Amino acid sequence: MAYVSIPAYWKTIPQRYSLIASRCKSCGTINFPPRDICTGCGKKTEHEPIRLKGQGKIYSYTIICAGGAPPEFSEQERLGGSFGVAVIELEEGPKMVAQMTDCKPSELSIDMKVEAVFRRVYEDDDVIRYGLKFRPIRA
Amino acid sequence: MEEVAIIGAGQSRFGTFVEKGAKELFVEAFEEALGAVDKGIESREIQEIYVGNLGVGGGQLGNFASMIADYAGLAGIPAVRLENACASSGFAFRAAVLAVQSGTCDIAVAGGIEKMNDLPRERLRYWLGISGDTEWERLAGMTFAGVYALMAMRHMHQYGTKREHLAMVAVKNHKNGADNPKAHFQRTITLEQALNSAMVAHPLTLFDCCPVTDGASAAIVCRTDLAKKYTDTPIYVLGHGASTDRLGLFERKDFTALTATTMAAEQAYKMAKIQPKDVNLAEVHDCFTIAEIMAYEDLGFCKKGEGGKLVEAGETQIGGRIPVNPSGGLKSKGHPIWATGTGQVYEIFKQLRRQAVKSSRQVSGADIGLTHNVGGSGGTAVVHILGIGERK
Amino acid sequence: MNSGIIGYGAYVPRFRIKREEYLKAWGSFSPRGVEEKSVTGLDEDAVTMTVESSVNALKRAGISSNQLSGMFFASTSAPYAEKLSSSTIVASLDGPSEIFLADLGSSTKAGTAALLSCLDFVSSGRGDEALVGASDVPQAAPSDPLEHGLGAGSASFVTGRNDIIASVEGVHCSSLEIIGERYRRQGERHLKDSGIGAYTEQAFNHALTISVTGLLKSLELKADEFAYAIFQQFDGRTAYDIGRKLGFKENQISPSMTVTKIGDSGSASPLIGLCAVLDIARPGDRILIASYGSGSGSDAISLVVTDQLVETRNRAPLVENYLAQKEYIDYLTYLKFRRMLGAR
Repeated sequence: MAYVSIPAYWKTIPQRYSLIASRCKSCGTINFPPRDICTGCGKKTEHEPIRLKGQGKIYSYTIICAGGAPPEFSEQERLGGSFGVAVIELEEGPKMVAQMTDCKPSELSIDMKVEAVFRRVYEDDDVIRYGLKFRPIRA
Repeated sequence: MEEVAIIGAGQSRFGTFVEKGAKELFVEAFEEALGAVDKGIESREIQEIYVGNLGVGGGQLGNFASMIADYAGLAGIPAVRLENACASSGFAFRAAVLAVQSGTCDIAVAGGIEKMNDLPRERLRYWLGISGDTEWERLAGMTFAGVYALMAMRHMHQYGTKREHLAMVAVKNHKNGADNPKAHFQRTITLEQALNSAMVAHPLTLFDCCPVTDGASAAIVCRTDLAKKYTDTPIYVLGHGASTDRLGLFERKDFTALTATTMAAEQAYKMAKIQPKDVNLAEVHDCFTIAEIMAYEDLGFCKKGEGGKLVEAGETQIGGRIPVNPSGGLKSKGHPIWATGTGQVYEIFKQLRRQAVKSSRQVSGADIGLTHNVGGSGGTAVVHILGIGERK
Repeated sequence: MNSGIIGYGAYVPRFRIKREEYLKAWGSFSPRGVEEKSVTGLDEDAVTMTVESSVNALKRAGISSNQLSGMFFASTSAPYAEKLSSSTIVASLDGPSEIFLADLGSSTKAGTAALLSCLDFVSSGRGDEALVGASDVPQAAPSDPLEHGLGAGSASFVTGRNDIIASVEGVHCSSLEIIGERYRRQGERHLKDSGIGAYTEQAFNHALTISVTGLLKSLELKADEFAYAIFQQFDGRTAYDIGRKLGFKENQISPSMTVTKIGDSGSASPLIGLCAVLDIARPGDRILIASYGSGSGSDAISLVVTDQLVETRNRAPLVENYLAQKEYIDYLTYLKFRRMLGAR
């Protein structure tokens, strides 16, 4: 079964909780999630950590419905119904995938401005897996 | 480098078979492939076997190829399982071709098998979701249909493609599948039915998605100078190409094209010394209707963004300029994930030999065919160009 | 003490349920004076709420998380019975790895206890700036009238010695042992109470009388010298009742009465009230806060607003901004969101 173990999840907590990306010292590309080999210059370079602000807009999205959610989210879908998942284009450049929260799926649109919020994403191996979701920026 | 031809191919019925396991399904396909060799062949003449399988359900994860070789009476030859998600048997076919091209062996068999209907729904969903980026896509709640839905949303946003265009692909493929006795679904559907079916991952409905299917397929390849010993109508492998792309869709610059497909197709066309317009029919990877529309563009059958217009004009129907998925495609023929690749080869093999199962699906003047097999959301892709005549 | 509050922030979840939904479901709605209450979404808990209120508090304090030397967390509904919530909050804020952490719980007085501990931490010189967050999403059995008023919310504060926006003038506490008043046994999910109205009222009055009159006496102040009086809020009337007994008027109390819109937010209750008051208070205003912990006691604190408050106020959303962002749900959805419908 493909799943992410506790240590594997733990290693990515700086990304999942706080959007810590890495900036390549050689070419300036911001890699999120961080990588050993820079996606910009294709080399194994030195990086420095950079915390992304969590502001961005929806580049694309879908609404997961009809009992099709990945098993980690089936309780959420049973209790909360269909949910939106979006690719967010962050202010700083990188894109990331995240669930949308605090909004009805029908409110979603491409180019909508959104912000990151810290939420419970799922549970596995009896451990709460926290992470970031996004919500629309409302006036 | 040697030239390679296909001398036989077979496919089990694709569908739901509680009583048949992976081994039985493979033997069904393999026996048909052996039987399709016009002048006869003994299974002991096969020198290598390449099989694609993900092992959905985890039945036999280690040494799967050994199990299949054993059950097919092939124990004693090199056997290997390949995994490139839904492109597994397409890559198995490529591996068999490369083995013969390199002179490592004279005759090899490539195939794919999948049993997907043995599992309870929750467990199956694990397996369906494993070919995307697990850490960053799946754990955000993304599903396989969801990733293609993201592509559809951008394609609609950037090019004005409509849900009706997606539905037209489903309608066309069901029409073809209705005449394919090997297809999972053998019934036509209307545009209204397609548009009004339950939403799976907006904007993709149930009818935009391929089914969960059991099945197996196999193809036997050999050196062209030996081929005439087995058949007067070998189907020549004119070209092939393969590539990869960033695993996570979110890491790619363009959501409206599969770069892996474009690059694989370029290599294949170059090797075959043909242009896209020379292709008479194609079996493309329509795991979702949007995937077929993007495939038209990525394979060069139409300009970027015009895939919707192509299907709307009827050009990809049997009888149209470039028939696509005359078998019914993954949508209607079914998608036993890792058996799809060699299943596409089987269809082209039959079509080029004017032996389409049910003559109503025979594409007339089919001399050059193309198979297009994609892994997951485009992490891998492989293209083969097959012809009734040798490369010019 | 030489430390004070240098930043504050609240968070209230988006979802609301109206008293009318309870009337439809049960024919009654127990808490007086509550119109609607806040409900956490399926992906929220005491920890996630604290992260947002803490972000707001840090923005107002104008410091970054890596300046914190300590973090105090208070809740009666922490997601783990054993595993620090404060470490999760610090990690989400990208805070330092060398920091003092303490989680407090066990009563609705935990919020003020944590605030005082956080102030003492800085005052004693153990650190220059520290963060305290109090968040609660208390739960009781759906058929128990106690459940009706239980809401959700969070309030966080940054304490420090410089740029103080509200200084501490005095503290007075009371400790009682009133058994069976409002409690939850280890391993139990649901809060219970004695169900004896007079017993509950007597305990509350006794605890607050000792802490508040003790505070006023030690500072030689009268009730009318306070601009605001904030009490633990279980419903929309109890605070006014005790306030009247102690000499406070309705207009001193009403600005903090977020309970009418969010329900009983447990240990966060008086502190969310404090945030609402800080959103409007003027330099020189004196504020009383008196908490109450489940049959155990009360902390009474007197704060005085400085002129630093005004410029920090608009760096983060006000309580009224959170109150305005709302989406109503029906009772069935409420039961699902609170995981009261056989999810596990």
